[in-house]
Amino acid sequence: MTTRREFLGRVTGLIAAAIGAVMAVPAVGYLIGPAWRRATPPWAGAGTIADLPTDQPVQREVVIETQDGWLKSEQTKGVWVAKLSTGEIRVYNPHCTHLGCAFKWNRDKQQFLCPCHGGVYDLNGRVLAGPPPRPLDTMEYKIEGDRLIVNYADFKSGASKKSPI
Amino acid sequence: MLKRVADWLNGRLKLGGIRELLLDEPIPGGASWVYVFGSITLFFFVTQLITGLLLTIYYSPSPDHAYDSIQFIEQEVTFGWFIRGLHHWGASAMVIAIGLHMLQVYLYGAYKPPRELMWIVGVVLFILVLMFAFTGYLLPWDQKAYWATQVGTNMLGTVPLVGDLLVRAARGGADLGALTLSRFFSMHALIFPWLTVGLIGLHLFILRRVGPAGPWDKARAESSSEPFYPRQVFIDAVAILAAFLIVVGMAIWLPFPLADKADPSAADFVPLPEWYFLFYYELLKYFKGPILEPIGTMLLPALFYALLFALPFIDRRRERRPAKRPVALAAGAGFLLVVFLLLGVSLHRVWSLPTATPAVAAGKQLYAKLQCAACHRIHGEGGSFGPDLSYIGKERDREWLIRHFKNPQAVVPGSAMPPFDLDEPSLNKLADYLLTLK
Repeated sequence: MTTRREFLGRVTGLIAAAIGAVMAVPAVGYLIGPAWRRATPPWAGAGTIADLPTDQPVQREVVIETQDGWLKSEQTKGVWVAKLSTGEIRVYNPHCTHLGCAFKWNRDKQQFLCPCHGGVYDLNGRVLAGPPPRPLDTMEYKIEGDRLIVNYADFKSGASKKSPI
Repeated sequence: MLKRVADWLNGRLKLGGIRELLLDEPIPGGASWVYVFGSITLFFFVTQLITGLLLTIYYSPSPDHAYDSIQFIEQEVTFGWFIRGLHHWGASAMVIAIGLHMLQVYLYGAYKPPRELMWIVGVVLFILVLMFAFTGYLLPWDQKAYWATQVGTNMLGTVPLVGDLLVRAARGGADLGALTLSRFFSMHALIFPWLTVGLIGLHLFILRRVGPAGPWDKARAESSSEPFYPRQVFIDAVAILAAFLIVVGMAIWLPFPLADKADPSAADFVPLPEWYFLFYYELLKYFKGPILEPIGTMLLPALFYALLFALPFIDRRRERRPAKRPVALAAGAGFLLVVFLLLGVSLHRVWSLPTATPAVAAGKQLYAKLQCAACHRIHGEGGSFGPDLSYIGKERDREWLIRHFKNPQAVVPGSAMPPFDLDEPSLNKLADYLLTLK
């Protein structure tokens, strides 16, 4: 048999808990929201496909709109575009899969060379030598008329499986 | 389980005495619903602290980013709109709560000896609440915020001798800008909260020392007494829950969008203060001119606060029954009457449809249908491309307005307004509506 005192105490406690919950639940979501929010990769133009040489990757600039919190800014990224002899088009992310350095295409050797730790990739992005744990990361693209539109995305470096950041 | 934790803590912190101190405070005459307003005010201060703290996690107090950061909170942050809503409506709730609390204290004569110190600390807290409101209003850095603060800080300039110095001190310079925003933010988020927490502590300490006043009837006050816990705590909790649910409801169902980003060059924007300052905004309309203006902006508020502070020393009679305090009651009632009258007039001016004629109503509908608000602003609503029309009724006559509707470029060379060559009755109704905007 609860006393009046105990009853009032319990109801007061309940009210406090209810108010606490209404404040705490949104507050927690508010605080950790950015933890699970992932930015959708932006699409940006990467020039035309008519003038792409076969089996000779070229670096194209894309200007993507990035959002850093409330700050909207434009960043210029370089992507490697290769038209293979089969006609297939590959768009490679410019970061080495080892630790993220920018690699370059070497015409004489017909290979992508990474200056940081000696990673070497072939035209198809396969690792030929050095520490890179996986092939070059490809990015999605679409072709509109003559224009190449790239879905720019970055991936975690150093992992054996390609996963978006 | 909870009891075991409580016992463990008690064994180490000896909390028993503190529990008694906080909860066993005797209330003369017993617990009552009349006494809830102090607790409600304290509750809303705590919710403002919490929601405000959360807002600072994403808010950026610089003119470049303030607006965008708040839009980010509104649109992108999980429950951001809710936290911001609680903070905005919580501010209004706080003003109402402290007003009701002061009213109850005044009515019960609880400012009289020996409670003078409590009252004085309370008045300082009241002033702090108003300053919280004023500094917080600037932080979104939208047109409303910017121009309302421009007007507010300009008012400091009407103080004789030191006016210019005061304006510069408040603004952090001659103009309203980055330094104003950063100091207003610092005051709002750090200086005032610390001051308020300290003063609330003092307020409660004094309450504990001197005891609650209780009923004004001495016999009732002495006949019974009960401890704060559990009945008054329970009553406070229920009242707090009700008030909280109202504010939550407002946060969910009453949006308050940001106006356009602040544009220091758009000097024709007519700002409106928050509703709790509207009575004063209206009052100042009657104090124009070099002599009356400083009276309105400085002398009257100074007198008001001086009276508030001096109240326990002006009225030293121990008698607390309202029936035996005709002067105090009349003064209080008179003050409330004036404030609410002014508030009513102001709201009527700003929002109500003048009930003059159906033609005016039709004109207002035409204004909406023709989407004039895309370029013109009335009392803060609408675009800033064309002139602000809030007081157009005072500036132009019917003949000019109709000529202008039909051919804007003939009347205002270079105007970008498209012609509205409607039939005569429609042009007149539109003019009828605009002429009511005074």
